[in-house]
Amino acid sequence: MMIGIKNASKLVGISVISCCAVLVCTMFLNFYLDISSIEDEITSELSLIFYNAQVSTAKVVCLVSGGCLLITSVVMLMFYIKHYIDTHKKELGILKALGYSNLKIAVNFWVFGISALLGTAVGFGGAFLLMPKFYALQNEDKILPEIAIRFHPTVFLYFVVLPTVGFSLLAIGYAWRKLKKPVLSLLKNDFRTFVKTKKYREEKINDASFVAYLKKTTLRSKKTLTFFILFASFCFSSMTQMSFSMKELSSEMMGAMMLIIGLVLAFTTLFLAVTTVMKGNTKTIAMMRIFGYSQKECAMAILGGYRPVSYTGFAIGTVYQYALLRIMVDIVFKDMEGMPAYQFDVPVMLISLAIFILIYEILMAVYSDQIKKISMKEIMME
Amino acid sequence: MIEVKNIIKSYGDGESRFQVLQGVSLEMEDGDFVVILGASGSGKSTFLNVISGLERPDSGEVLYDTIDIAALSDNELTSFRKENVGFIFQQYYLLPNMDVDRNVKMGADLAGNKDYRTVIEAVGLGEKLHKYPSELSGGEQQRVSVARALAKKPKILFLDEPTGALDERTGRQVLDYICKLKNKYNFTIVMVTHNGNIAEMAKTVVKMNSGKITGIYRNEVLKTAYEIGW
Repeated sequence: MMIGIKNASKLVGISVISCCAVLVCTMFLNFYLDISSIEDEITSELSLIFYNAQVSTAKVVCLVSGGCLLITSVVMLMFYIKHYIDTHKKELGILKALGYSNLKIAVNFWVFGISALLGTAVGFGGAFLLMPKFYALQNEDKILPEIAIRFHPTVFLYFVVLPTVGFSLLAIGYAWRKLKKPVLSLLKNDFRTFVKTKKYREEKINDASFVAYLKKTTLRSKKTLTFFILFASFCFSSMTQMSFSMKELSSEMMGAMMLIIGLVLAFTTLFLAVTTVMKGNTKTIAMMRIFGYSQKECAMAILGGYRPVSYTGFAIGTVYQYALLRIMVDIVFKDMEGMPAYQFDVPVMLISLAIFILIYEILMAVYSDQIKKISMKEIMME
Repeated sequence: MIEVKNIIKSYGDGESRFQVLQGVSLEMEDGDFVVILGASGSGKSTFLNVISGLERPDSGEVLYDTIDIAALSDNELTSFRKENVGFIFQQYYLLPNMDVDRNVKMGADLAGNKDYRTVIEAVGLGEKLHKYPSELSGGEQQRVSVARALAKKPKILFLDEPTGALDERTGRQVLDYICKLKNKYNFTIVMVTHNGNIAEMAKTVVKMNSGKITGIYRNEVLKTAYEIGW
């Protein structure tokens, strides 16, 4: 029908996030399962403490990273389906008018699960490629007996098969729910009809300028995008800072892996979110330009509201990485000998912040420049 | 005074290149009410876009007194539109997630107009200040777009088929509001329409066909919106 692989390919964000989640979780869960099989071979107390610490780490990392990234992927999937339905209202309305049932249309949304399959498969394969090095590093001092890498079908089931099936079913279910609208409301032009009117009705008139008000409205109207921008900054902040601490606490490999995952997650999410913000506001920008608002004013109204959000994300990421490492060092590895002391690294935080501000502002400047390219005919061609 | 000299505008490239405006020249006095009349594809909307600074001509001059807006940079052109021009389109293009008050404020803020609610009252929407576009009828939405355009106190108001999406009665009502406000604020009106009867309301009527002006005439007696046929 009308939803194909091409549409699923736009869900690159879900692929990237699920790839990162599965990469990390597969490595740690596989390690956990393999290390569990050698529990009986552990005889010394030191080995047992080390073993318990490794098991706890694997559990914590799987739950925290996997859970956090899973939630983000689900939110992103739902956002994209809603966005898809909003931008294809007319076509979907025509299908419904022709007699297609909601379920029959919704079933076509299964292809969105392909994005999860792609991400999880790459993540799973990547994890097995990195595993020999990872296992060696986890047992660098040979405290534990040799840990052999084994393929566990359950891990494949949990991290590749189930997410793909789950995401496909979720996509169908969510689309089915969203399609439960009268045909006419789908057929009408969304530019004039999709507004959530009641929500802001009670708002008192204030003297805020139009630009300031639009900034606030843009931020409020797409809360999911606000979440993604917060998440992107959070990822950048926590992963970059954690990667430097990991170099000392764990290994260079763990640090580098964390840094790469953090940067990929942060930039993919930020890029997708800001692009969606821009696309969603093309008509508003075109109208503002027609009336004589400058490029700077348009950028401030559409993108300016996200600046405090992204800096808040950075702050949350900083606190999160500190708390997580504190827990790891003080609770999980508390009995481990030779564990280096962990202190909050102010210079690393400042460097990360400076790099973050620089990259964020450059990105915003690039997007702001795109406003110039928005054709005012865009609005007149309808 | 607006003086348009030998405007040429084409679209497309190579063999598919099509000259929409073929050397159009025209003069419009301050405070004039000009209707540009023509069938679909005559080039009237492109002409409106060029003289309002939304599009650049391939060649020719668009002089506002002594300033040639065709030669202005993008920033200068934005500034020009901000200070001089108001727009009303057939499809209204109101911001859907803002109420009437905020939509009109969009125009008012550009002129620093704190008194913009008087314009909302003037178009008969004082009671619907906090209604959203989706809660208004087509005629009411177009009146909001009239208020939005006038709240920025333009010297020239450009209208592209302002009644095209409205029924006869509502169309007349909108035109009546525009004429009353023109008398009050004395701005220049340049309106594009294919409806020949609306031309009877204008001082100057410009007829266009195939990218050329085929006739210009002036009405001695102006009819009101309620006196014209539809």
